[in-house]
Order: sequence, then structure tokens, then C-alpha cells
Amino acid sequence: MLVSALLSSCAKQPDDAIRFGLSSAPISLDPRFATDAASARLNRLLYHRLVDFDDSSRPIPSLASWEALTPVHYRFSLKENGRQFQNSRFQKNKSLSTADVKATYDYILKSENASPHRASISLIRDIRVVDEDTIDFYLDRPDPLFPGYLVIGILPAEAVQSGRKFDRMSMGSGEFSFLDWPEDGLIRLKRRSDNQIFEFIHVGDATVRVLKLLRGEIDLLQNDLPRELVSYLEKQDGHKVVHRGGSNFTYIGFNTQDPVLKIDGVRQAIAYAINRDEIIKYVMGGKTRKANALLPPDHWAGNPSLQAYEYNPGRARELLSKLGYNVDQPLSITYKTSSDPFRIRIATIIQQQLAEVGIKVDLRSYDWATFYGDIKEGRFQMYSLSWVGIKSPDIFRYVFHSTAVPPAGANRGRYNNSKVDQLIEQAEKGVDQAERAEVYRKLQEELLMTLPYVPLWYEEHFYAAASSIDGYTLAVDGNYDGLIYVHRTQ
Amino acid sequence: MIRLGIPGLILSLWFLMAVTGPFLPLHPERIDLVNILTGPGLNEALGYDDLGRPVLDRLLLGASTSFFVAFWVVTISVVIGTFVGTFSAYIGGYVDQVVVRIIDIFLAFPGILLAIALSGIMGPGIENVVVALSIVGWVGFARLARAQTLSLKHREHVVAAVSLGTVQRKIIVRHLFPLISAPLIIEATFGIASVVIAEAGLSFLGLGVQPPDASWGSMIRDGARYMLVAPHMVLAPGIALMLVVLSVNLLGDRLRDWMDVKGRSVVKK
Amino acid sequence: MLNFLFTRLLSALIVMFGVMCMVFFLIHLVPGDPVDMMLGESARLADREAMRVALGLDQPLLVQLQQYFVNLTQFDLGTSLHSRRPISEMLLERLPATLELAIAALVVAVAIAFPLGVIAAIRKDTLWDRGAMSFSLIGMSIPNFWMGPVLILVFSLWLGWFPVSGRDGIGSLVLPAITLGTALAAVLSRMVRSTLLEVLNEDYIRTARAKGLSESSVVLKHGLRNALLPVITLLGLQLGVLLGGAVITETVFSWPGIGKLTIEAILKRDYPVVQACVLLISLAYVFVNVMTDLVYAWVDPRIRTGGKA
Repeated sequence: MLVSALLSSCAKQPDDAIRFGLSSAPISLDPRFATDAASARLNRLLYHRLVDFDDSSRPIPSLASWEALTPVHYRFSLKENGRQFQNSRFQKNKSLSTADVKATYDYILKSENASPHRASISLIRDIRVVDEDTIDFYLDRPDPLFPGYLVIGILPAEAVQSGRKFDRMSMGSGEFSFLDWPEDGLIRLKRRSDNQIFEFIHVGDATVRVLKLLRGEIDLLQNDLPRELVSYLEKQDGHKVVHRGGSNFTYIGFNTQDPVLKIDGVRQAIAYAINRDEIIKYVMGGKTRKANALLPPDHWAGNPSLQAYEYNPGRARELLSKLGYNVDQPLSITYKTSSDPFRIRIATIIQQQLAEVGIKVDLRSYDWATFYGDIKEGRFQMYSLSWVGIKSPDIFRYVFHSTAVPPAGANRGRYNNSKVDQLIEQAEKGVDQAERAEVYRKLQEELLMTLPYVPLWYEEHFYAAASSIDGYTLAVDGNYDGLIYVHRTQ
Repeated sequence: MIRLGIPGLILSLWFLMAVTGPFLPLHPERIDLVNILTGPGLNEALGYDDLGRPVLDRLLLGASTSFFVAFWVVTISVVIGTFVGTFSAYIGGYVDQVVVRIIDIFLAFPGILLAIALSGIMGPGIENVVVALSIVGWVGFARLARAQTLSLKHREHVVAAVSLGTVQRKIIVRHLFPLISAPLIIEATFGIASVVIAEAGLSFLGLGVQPPDASWGSMIRDGARYMLVAPHMVLAPGIALMLVVLSVNLLGDRLRDWMDVKGRSVVKK
Repeated sequence: MLNFLFTRLLSALIVMFGVMCMVFFLIHLVPGDPVDMMLGESARLADREAMRVALGLDQPLLVQLQQYFVNLTQFDLGTSLHSRRPISEMLLERLPATLELAIAALVVAVAIAFPLGVIAAIRKDTLWDRGAMSFSLIGMSIPNFWMGPVLILVFSLWLGWFPVSGRDGIGSLVLPAITLGTALAAVLSRMVRSTLLEVLNEDYIRTARAKGLSESSVVLKHGLRNALLPVITLLGLQLGVLLGGAVITETVFSWPGIGKLTIEAILKRDYPVVQACVLLISLAYVFVNVMTDLVYAWVDPRIRTGGKA
């Protein structure tokens, strides 16, 4: 096995590599520390996790299946597949065992290691290895969503204990093994099933990324192009573009403590004044779906029967005139957005649509760090942003519960609704998934009615590839798992 | 006299656009999504941008923004820079030492970082761009003015004026300024170009002109994103910017030649 | 001379100290929190606090600054907040790319500027002069973020001569070098022209002409050689600037240089990386400056004495 791997890796010419164009560069390949989307997506290829999610975001077994012996005691049993660690200078033919699981999670739980993932699993009180294939997790308090938190890639125990750094290397048991990272914008991985080499190349500029694809310098790219460039690519010979709906949620957030925006009528007027169909038709991708809630309708806790705020400028004007505002005496609102050109483009359209019903919007774009700092501090009237990769409905407590005002959580709009608080707590206590889902649906109804957010849409995903590239599929959260099956046809 | 010619004409046009732009019946902010990226045609001479806004109208609006930024940044920088540089060199001693260190620190400091930091602290907006770019911009003029003054301090006519007991202020105004103004004016012409481009750079980071306003720099930045599909979007502001910069520089050249002749005749007398 | 060297070095040190203090306070003054940038949307309060302590960001600013200088004296630049890599390693990785691009851009600039400048000077006030100067001005009037994509479009996509972007062999160097070099060429060619014109008016040139030397020999041998000093000075200063990296060009061409590293670090509020980049950029600048001063002092003794009087 090893010999054959060596032989074929020597035989493969680097020209056979499949090159993937990234819009942002991964920062760290250490699953204990990586938080950015690009790193997380590559880590999914390099490491296996205990638990994964299906398309409805239900937790499903990945490395391990589980059962809840009591509400605070979970037993995980490792399965046969995906347990062979990649060979490296430090280890040969090692197989993943429960000791590795314990070492990885113990490391994250230790507060002095300052892992950004610690708090999400801080309810773990103890981890005990039962045997090589069985491991028990004991919790401080019951949390039915718990298995969904165990999504961190498992590292070999020896490496964790030796304090080895994994930022720019990897020793995972995933479908891919790490080759090298010669410079910041270039990472090379090898698919373990057939030794196919993959190069991940960071190309920040959208136009340049398209040109590189057309020139054959990259074979594949995913997302982050203006719609017009996607249409342009669709018209080029020798390439294909594939779209699918996604789950990443874009919204407008309000400061509910603001003297103007705390008025229900104002927030409703804004919801009615935005013509989402038009924006989606002209500037978003074709598979973008209008959103009515944070979780998409096909999520297990999603609500497909929510009543949307359809575009109705007349109703918006009516609501505003009741409050004494009209086109001649407009309401003035400051609207903050990040300086990403695509975000500015959308915000400018919204500015125009609000102007038509008599809301004068002062648009301000900031670099990401400043923007993010401002909204966290509550220094805004209105802003827009997206939630990316949300799987578990524990997000509702984090975003809308009255105790989750930053820095404790992400209730940046200082939203305070006792009914919502109560529904969140009730859902967490639900006996089975069906009951919890029912409460979460009610919760989303209440949120849509009271509008701490105006939900906008779930952005689509797409990929563009040379026609010689076959077998790639898009995931609902935009991960790169499709690379496990992709191949080049001649 | 200086021949103004075509460059003069272009600059007058720029000035005219900048001054009258706000009063013309333009619709630079009218979004019409149906027209997104439609190329130039009978209805709209320069086509539409990525939000279906008329590029020509935005070009006229951008002219006044860019003019405003360039004018104020260069003016503020030249005035402060010349003042600091000339006096520092003329006075000399410890004052000069301190000024030189400050100039050095500013020069050694990456300008873009300073501009980002200042815009971040003051918030985005075109007035803050002027302030940020002026804080970065004065140093170059100060350095140049200082170097020029140093080399002129020992020229015969200055030394003569000093020995005749002429008042310092008069020496600086009468004998130094005319001679150092030529290189400063040339530097200023380059300054206009780099300010317009720097403004675009800040817009690139979202710290410049705020939507829906336009500047040529932000138009080029937006246009470059659609270069493959709608080249008109980037060509129009690009050519406008190039013509203006070219004209400013050509006039600067002529001005320099003209002053050179004058300057030399003074010295040779 | 030794005395002069000493004072120059001392003042360079003061300047570096000033720069480092300024960048330290500026970057901390700008709104935005590195821990937020690192942990992303869904991190919890306890994580943030633990991270802040682990990174030493919970200390008072002055303590952090003092610690930074202490580390600097031990040539320790610290580690990146984001990637947790030693910064010296990151800089060393980027430096060759930046050097390569800077030198290539200078070569392009010189190759364009000298012929243009000389032609313009010899044929002063003719169509040649105006043509050459306008040409150089056009080069300067095109912003890099416009010129870069246009060059890619023409030379990579249509003609297929060079790779679109990345750093992969000499071919990939051509387009970014042209993008950077043309703007530089504009300034340089004007400099060549004006200094050459000045020199050509000097007495010894007239003497050379009077001796009956050919015009080309007068211009090239006597004129250009004497005009070189200010031109080289300018080149040196530009090199100092280029070593700081060319943010926009590097971004457009995905060139893994210092400029790109700096801007990314600023946007992520990766404080120690920003500080290290600024340190490097200003060091390059100050070094070039000191060298220039020394050359000048050596050539023109008036500066040595007059400036210090």
C-alpha cells in the first residue's frame, strides 16, 4: 500500500493536478483553531469528524454513531471507515482510535489553549475512553443538540501531546493528505484514493479568477463572482457552470433600542419597501431563494409556511405617513455595510428602493473589521450581513435571546422580547426532535412578525469548471466535499 | 506667456463640469436594473453601469468629486508643506532637526496605512478623505521645499540680500519662493494625479466616497470588476482621468519652462 | 565623515522608533478587534477572553508596547495573531517575491525612461520631446488597478503570452513588472530629461562641444554621466518604496509580496504583523535614505557642513 502510493506519486506529473481557485486564502489547517470558511472547508477534506449533517442539517454519524444513555451521557462508537491516518514522517500506518478523539477534545477544552471552539463544547464535563472503539461524553447539563457540536477534525493523540503545530501541515484521516504549502496563496493536497494531486490557489480578484479559468490556469472555481461574470462564463465554450440553492442567510438587522427603529411600523415599512424579486432577478444568482427566517424551510427546524412580506410600496408609504413621514418629509436612517463591492451594490439598490417610499438612507461602508466592531457595539441603526454555515438551532438563543447582547452573544440589535425568550427556552427543553422543531417554527413566526431582522434571501452556490472536469457536486453550505469525487476526463 | 492649448481646454472643461455639475438636470443616482451594464447607445451616450445608472451623468458627478478632492488635498498639502519646509530650512538648527525627523517619520511610514487608519478613526466620507490624504501629502512638498531652500540659501542673490540686511520674511517671499515654486508646481501637478488615484484606492477599501455618490476613482474601481463584460464602464472614467492628469502635467511642464526662463534671467542679471 | 555617518545612523534610529510608536498607537486606535476577526461570527464570550489572554491583548497598551520593544532588541518579531506563525518566517517567505518584483519594475522603468528622457532632452521643444513626455505621462495617468486587468486581458487572454497571475517563473513577472514600472518610468523619464537639460547647459559641455566632439558622444559620455547622480538617487528612493510592496499590483496579480501581506494584516487587525511589515518598509526606506545622504555628502561637502551648522 505504502510502496504503491510512493510509486504512483512519483509517476504523477504535477501537470495532472486539478487546480481550484479560492477567493480567500485559508489561514490555518489546524482544526482546533481554524475559523475562516476557506480553512474549514479544506479541513473537511483533511480530517474526519465524529458527526456531520445531512441536507436538512440533522446531525448524522460520520466517524461515529451515538446514543444518549441519559440526557447528560452520550456514548459514541467509532465505525470502520475513515480511520486510517495519513502517513507522515512521524507516524506510519496508524489508525484513529478513541484515544485520539479524547486527546483532540481535551486539548480544545483546556482554556489555556485558547481554542476558538472551546465555548461551543464547554458543556462537556468529562470524556472517558471505554475501549478502542467506544467513548463516553458526560455533560454538565442536558442539551439535545449536543452531537451536532462534535464537528472538529480528529488529530492523532501523540501529535497533540507532543505539542506539534498543525497550522501548515496535517496528519488527518480524511480523504485527502497534505503535500505542502509553499507560499500563502498555494496549498497542495493529494487525494488518498487515487493520488490525484489538487492545488488550491488563492486569486482574490474576481476578473482575474475568471481569466485564469479561461486560460486553463485553474480548472475549477466556486462562488464569489458578480452575476454578470457568471453569465459571461456560461457563454464561453469549453466551460460549464452549475448552480444550486444554498443555506447562507442574508438579512437586514435593526437596532431595536433606536428611537426611530424601535417603532414597529418603521421596520415593517422597510420590509414592505424592499423589492427582493427585482434584486434577485437582476443581481443575484438564479438559484437564490427569498428568505423568511434564519433557517431555510428545508432545515429540520425550518418553517416552510411563513407569510412573507411581499413588496408593497403603497403599504410602506401608508405605514410611514401614519407616523408623519412622507417623500417630502423623509425619515433619515443610517445604513452600515461592509466595503465588499457586492454588498455595496445590494445596499445601494436598497437605498434607492427605500428612497421611493420616503426613507432617506445614509449609506456607510466600512472595512470589515471596523464594520464588525461597530455592529457588535450596537453603533448602528441598520446594517446588513449574512449568517454562514448555520446548522444547529441553538443559533436562536445566541442571536435573539435578551441575555445574548454582545459580548455574551450576537443579539446586536438589543432585541428584547419575552415571548421569544420563552420559546427559545421551551424549545431547548423539548423531548424529541419533532416537538422542538414545532416550537422553533413558532419562534420563527414570532420573529418574522416582530422583525428584529428583515430576512432577505439564501444565496445560491455555483461552480464553474473546464469541461474536462467531471463529478463535482455543490453542497448546501458551500463546502468543497465534491472534490472527493471530481475527476478529469480526457 | 504660457500656451494653454488643448490641455487648457480640457482643464477648463473639468472645472466647468465640477462647478456646474450639481446644477445640471442629471440623474446620476437613478437606478434602473433593467439597464444593468447596457453599453453605449442612442439613448445614453456612455451606457449604463452595474446598477443601470447612466455613466455619463455619473462621470459629470464624479468630475466634481475628484476635482474637489484633488483641489483641496493639493492646496492644503502645498501650503503646509511649503511653509514648513521653507522655514525649517531657513531657520535651521534644532528646529530644522526636529522637522526633518518628523518629515522622515511620515515619509518612512506607509502612506496607505496612515490613510486607512485615519479614515477608520474619522469614519468614511469624502471630507475625511481630504484630511487623510493631506496629512499624508504635505510631507513630500515639505521635503522638496526644504531641499530647494537649502540649496538656494547659498546662492549669490540670497546671500547678497541677507548681507544687505533685508527682512527675513521679505527674503523668503521675494527671493526664495519664486525660485522654489517651479519644482513645487511640478510636484503639485504630479500630486493632482496621485491624489485622484489615492482617492480611488481608499474607495477601493470602502473608505472613500460613499454610495450613491461617485468619483472617477470609485467608478474605475467598480468598472474594473466588469471589464470583461462591460468595458465601457471602466473606459469612460479611465479616459477622463487620463486626459485630466495628462493636461495638468502638460500645463505644469509649460509652466516650468516658462518659469525656468524667467528664473534664469533673474539669476544671470 | 565618520561623525556625519554616526549622526545619520542615530537619526535613522530615532525615525524608526517614531515610526514604530506611531504605527503601534494608530493600529490600536482604529476600531476593530483582532480577536473578533479571528474567531468569526459564532464565537462565545469565554473564547474571546481566553484568546485575548493567550495573545497578551489584555495587557495595558503601554505594557504591550514596552514588551514589543524588548522583543525587538532580541530580534523577535513575534507571531501572527491569526496564523500563529513566527512573523520572521512569514516575512522571509515574502521578501524574495517583493525583491524580484521591485527589481523587475525598476528594470522596466529604466528601459523605458532613459531612451524617452534622452530623446526628449536632445530634441527639446520639438514634437519628439512632446511625444516622449506625453507618452510617459500617459503611463503615469493609468491607475495600476486599471492597467493590471487590461494587461491581463490583452497579453494573457487574447495573446496568451503570459500567465494570468501567480508567481510561477519569469513569465509571470512580466505583467506585474510592466504595471508597476510604467508609472515609475513617467517620473524617471522627466527626471532624466530635466537633469540632462541642466547638465547640457553647463560650461564643460559647451567646452566639449567646442572641441568638436560628436553630439552623441557629448550627450552620452559627458551629459548623461553627470546627470546620473540625481537619477540614481530617485531610483534608490523608489526602490525603497517598492520594497514596501505594491499593494494593488500584488493583489491584482496574486503576487505573494510584502504589500499584500501588509494590507491583509491591516484588514484583519493582525497587530504584530502590521508592525513587522511597517518596520520592514520603513527600514528599507530609511536605509536607502541614509545611503543617499551619504552619497550626497560625499559628492557635495556643502551639505555635510551647511546642513549641520
